[in-house]
Amino acid sequence: MATQGFSSRDLSYWIGRDLMIKFSHVSLIYPNSTTTVLEELNLTIAEGELVLVIGPTGSGKSSLLRLINGLVPHHTGGILAGDISVNGVSTQMTKPGGMAHLIGIVGQNPANGFVADTVEEELAFGMEVLNLPNDVMRKRVEEVLDLLSLAALRNRSIATLSGGEQQRVAIGAALVTHPKVLVLDEPTSALDPIAAEEVLSILHRLVHDLGLTVVIAEHKLERVIQFADRIVYINGDGAANVGTPEEILMQSPIAPPIVHLARALGLKEIGVTVREMRRMTTHLREAIASHPVADSQKPTETVISIDKLTVSYENQTALNNITSTICAGEIVAVMGRNGAGKSSLLKAIAGVNRASAGVIKVLGDDPYHLQGKNRREAVGYIPQEPSDLLYGQSVSIECAQADRDNELPAGTTYEVLQQLVPGISLTTHPRDLSEGQRLGLALSVVLSSNPSILILDEPTRGLDYEAKNELTRMLVNFAATFGKAVLLATHDVELVAELANRVIFIADGDIVADGTTLDVLLSSPAFAPQVAKVVSPQPWLRVKDVVAAIEGMQ
Amino acid sequence: MTQPSLHPFTWWLWAIGLAVAIVRFDSTWITLSCVGVVMVVVFRLRDDAPWAKSFDWTLKLSAWILGIRTIIGITIGVPIPGTELFRLPVLPLPTWMPGIRIGGVVTWERLSSSLSEGLLICSIIVILGAAASLTSPHRLLRVLPIYIYEFAVAVVIATSVLPQLVGSVKRIRLAQRLRGQNTRGFRSWKRVAIPLLEESLARSLDLAAAMDSRGYGVSKKRSRYRPISWRLKDSLVVISAIGLVVIS
Repeated sequence: MATQGFSSRDLSYWIGRDLMIKFSHVSLIYPNSTTTVLEELNLTIAEGELVLVIGPTGSGKSSLLRLINGLVPHHTGGILAGDISVNGVSTQMTKPGGMAHLIGIVGQNPANGFVADTVEEELAFGMEVLNLPNDVMRKRVEEVLDLLSLAALRNRSIATLSGGEQQRVAIGAALVTHPKVLVLDEPTSALDPIAAEEVLSILHRLVHDLGLTVVIAEHKLERVIQFADRIVYINGDGAANVGTPEEILMQSPIAPPIVHLARALGLKEIGVTVREMRRMTTHLREAIASHPVADSQKPTETVISIDKLTVSYENQTALNNITSTICAGEIVAVMGRNGAGKSSLLKAIAGVNRASAGVIKVLGDDPYHLQGKNRREAVGYIPQEPSDLLYGQSVSIECAQADRDNELPAGTTYEVLQQLVPGISLTTHPRDLSEGQRLGLALSVVLSSNPSILILDEPTRGLDYEAKNELTRMLVNFAATFGKAVLLATHDVELVAELANRVIFIADGDIVADGTTLDVLLSSPAFAPQVAKVVSPQPWLRVKDVVAAIEGMQ
Repeated sequence: MTQPSLHPFTWWLWAIGLAVAIVRFDSTWITLSCVGVVMVVVFRLRDDAPWAKSFDWTLKLSAWILGIRTIIGITIGVPIPGTELFRLPVLPLPTWMPGIRIGGVVTWERLSSSLSEGLLICSIIVILGAAASLTSPHRLLRVLPIYIYEFAVAVVIATSVLPQLVGSVKRIRLAQRLRGQNTRGFRSWKRVAIPLLEESLARSLDLAAAMDSRGYGVSKKRSRYRPISWRLKDSLVVISAIGLVVIS
């Protein structure tokens, strides 16, 4: 793989292409840090290329993206060696503002970057500050409204939009200035599969129709991999590999399920799209007769019963007449579009929201009236931002507090933490932990009180594959060994396939599907995991299902 | 927005006018009636934007300030003779601090002067808080001249990030309550303050980076997509405040 200099393959690659972004001998180190983020990175990106940046959490993907328009180091500090130029303009000489007409950048959390109230004003902002004449602005706003199908939302207040809509507005706002490069940091992490697909297909179209150069960082490779021309793999220790998706994924520890499938089947080549993989595995689908899936579900004690539950806030119905029961030992995934009512359901079970009508019982009690210790022992709740739960100045203070709260011998919580995420130092400040480690800490604090029900709201935002596997292992263990119920709201189909044994699908406040993971995920192609798409019509969701089926054959 | 046509400066000018007027009048009744008018205006006109909700917190804050100011006012300072209400034990002070006394006789005059001074401070906080909750910080940014760039960025961050924090406080307290922690009382604030501070810093940095990378402040001139115009309504609101200043 060509990390240093150009190989002959690169030369042929460059014929007839315009150079857009050039990293030459780039090294980056942050102050007070002992490890370099990047070391001697050479990278050239052509016009109209879609480049994907991957790597473990905290490896410096965001830093690489922010180097492109000079936010690093102009805005963040840090020592930069080497040179980055975009369309011939070097970031050493030019501040991020001076690159605004060249580069559109969409941050990890677009809601934090909005400067206007309404969609139209937000779109116009970038052009206003560049002092473009009014008639140009009007034309471009209309253009972008159409391009991103935002016309119906033009006068809406941004605060009232859904996550997917906000993401589209942020992309639109970056596009109005007609930049040559678009940089996106985890554009689909907060989106449901359909909204994510929508955003990505728009990007794909922009690359092909307008020759836009796009650089994306993303954890959920299964969503973006088919669109990528090349991948930059950052290791976290300064090293970086650049190559085609096939080259990089062949050996990368970070890979979408489809690649794990290819590896498990021992295929010589790997495919990055479902279509390619289906072609390579024709023999498999035909050779293996449908294997009956063992029904391991035994009815157990009911822990949550929901009867005709309605929750509404200020004239808006979030949940509409829902009835369901959840048993001990079950791992239930609550899925649905952004704003469908997933969080409302979880919060009602956790006893935060009062039911407008209907009854909800957790272990026979109304969760709304639970207090202090009783609450901790009944329901453990991990919010979308796990750090909301943490306030100690170090891991040890946090663990000690949990021990005291639950009258446990000192050190118990830390032991739980050691099992969940080994190797966290007691003196670390929770803020300095990685996303996954912080989730682990919040989880061990919650688990220390030994709750009967564990609720997680969107636990996988910003988690890489390794951290997700870890989470899966922890939760499966928790549910199986201790016979506890786990509920999680998530958009992550692959996680659901690995983890859950039951899926409740909510749309517009109603339960539209409730059944085993297999039944619910296979009934809609949009929510089917990659492996299922490849082996369809065989009913397998995970790589290990396929492997087990083959072994069963032999 | 219930009143999208009002210019973003209008409520600020109105608020400054009222504040100047009540300081010049220095009359408790006029101060109280101004605060009353301001509260009616806010509760009638505000929408459900995050900054609009910040007014409730402004009221809470000023109530705290009034309370603390009054307690300090009646316990520390030079005694004012008059009708005696009650007596507090006197804290002996070293002789090199003559004229200052802690505790002692609390007179009606002492109490009322402390209260009216505190009220003046609080009413100014309430009135400016009202302007902040009635004006969208984003619209304010659009009318601020570009040559006060650094200042404008600070204003936008202060006025847009801080009210959003009210929402964050709710979210964090909720999470802590679910951890089974007590969310009442002074000590619980320490638990909220740390995640809050962290989040507000992150948000401010994000916003500043976003504004920077979109070219804010690069060109000294700025075009207007939909110019915000000054209308008769705006003039009337501002004239009402100026009128009050002139009478005072």
